[in-house]
Amino acid sequence: MDASITTLPFPVAGEGTRARTRVDHKTSEEAALVRRVQARDEMAFREVVERYQSKVFSIIFGILRNRNDAEDIAQQVFAKVYFSIKNFDFRSSLLTWIYKITVNECYDYLRKKRVRKLVYESDFSQEDAQRMEASEPAIDGAVPADTRLAQRDLILKLLSKVSEEERSLILLKEVEGHSVEELAGMTGLNENTIKVKLFRTRQKLLRAAGRLTRTR
Amino acid sequence: MHREIRDHIEDVLRGGDTPKDAREHLAHCDECQTEVRSMQEQTALIRELRAPADFAEDLHPGFYARVMERIEAEGPISIWNLFIESPFGRRIAVASLALALLIGVYVVTSERAMEDSTIALESQQSVTEQIFVAGEDAPAREITRVDQSQSDESSQDAVLANLVTYREQ
Repeated sequence: MDASITTLPFPVAGEGTRARTRVDHKTSEEAALVRRVQARDEMAFREVVERYQSKVFSIIFGILRNRNDAEDIAQQVFAKVYFSIKNFDFRSSLLTWIYKITVNECYDYLRKKRVRKLVYESDFSQEDAQRMEASEPAIDGAVPADTRLAQRDLILKLLSKVSEEERSLILLKEVEGHSVEELAGMTGLNENTIKVKLFRTRQKLLRAAGRLTRTR
Repeated sequence: MHREIRDHIEDVLRGGDTPKDAREHLAHCDECQTEVRSMQEQTALIRELRAPADFAEDLHPGFYARVMERIEAEGPISIWNLFIESPFGRRIAVASLALALLIGVYVVTSERAMEDSTIALESQQSVTEQIFVAGEDAPAREITRVDQSQSDESSQDAVLANLVTYREQ
């Protein structure tokens, strides 16, 4: 399978299909909010925290399935937002930027803890198990929880093999459910560029999976 | 994967509308079928990273206050934080301090040695001057006495060497 995958590129941006969605992130209401945060307006920062905290928590919990550390990582995410927002350049939406920070923090956490298993048994409560079983769409209704944990472990490992940008993009597409058009608007990139990046990321993930299977 | 599928892979994976030629190609191409299947499995795995829909509902009173506490505790990020916070940075800092200490010790000890040699040189010069003051006719014993009373022990050898030279001349 792996050998059959070629690295032929998608048509480059502008070739063939159209590039539609362009959002000017510099003039939106969100941009005004960001500028206030950049000027160290605490009320504006509070608004950012309140607007995005549930999203940040759900990203973290989706990746780590660890309630105990989710709050700590979320605090760290917003501290980073506070300290780094001066470097926010309005090329993407604030959510995209925060999303990337959040995913990076999750991977930092995994790296620091040297977690190769997705979930520590001690962190995985009965409630978490029930919640996970009840609410997530399954590939196959009969897949047992430990198999799903192993699968999640595998996909986290594979996602660690691609760049931060590729990781954020594929997660925004598949986990958050954004369309290519929406991603183009959120990132400020051309739709074709988004498609190329997604396709290359998928190829990289397949190759990484092939390597992992061979080494096992 | 062939171009017919590659160009529409996002639509294929989403199960959306795809052009007729892409559908026909996929129906007959084993290679593309295999790869699409792999990508579908992979996509399903990635979607496992979705949080439960009701996850965010029971959040976290006082979260903003705790974020601000953390921000105040961390303070602005400076170049020094890199040294203080990371273990590698701390090692570099300790090694730098040790190196600075070694250089300091070396500088101090070498300055002392230079001072000692300067003192020796000065006392040697003063003895030589006295010899010249005493005149060429003065007995060697007298000059030696002057030398013993006025110069310190560290300069004795140098003075004696001078005397020997003086007598030979």
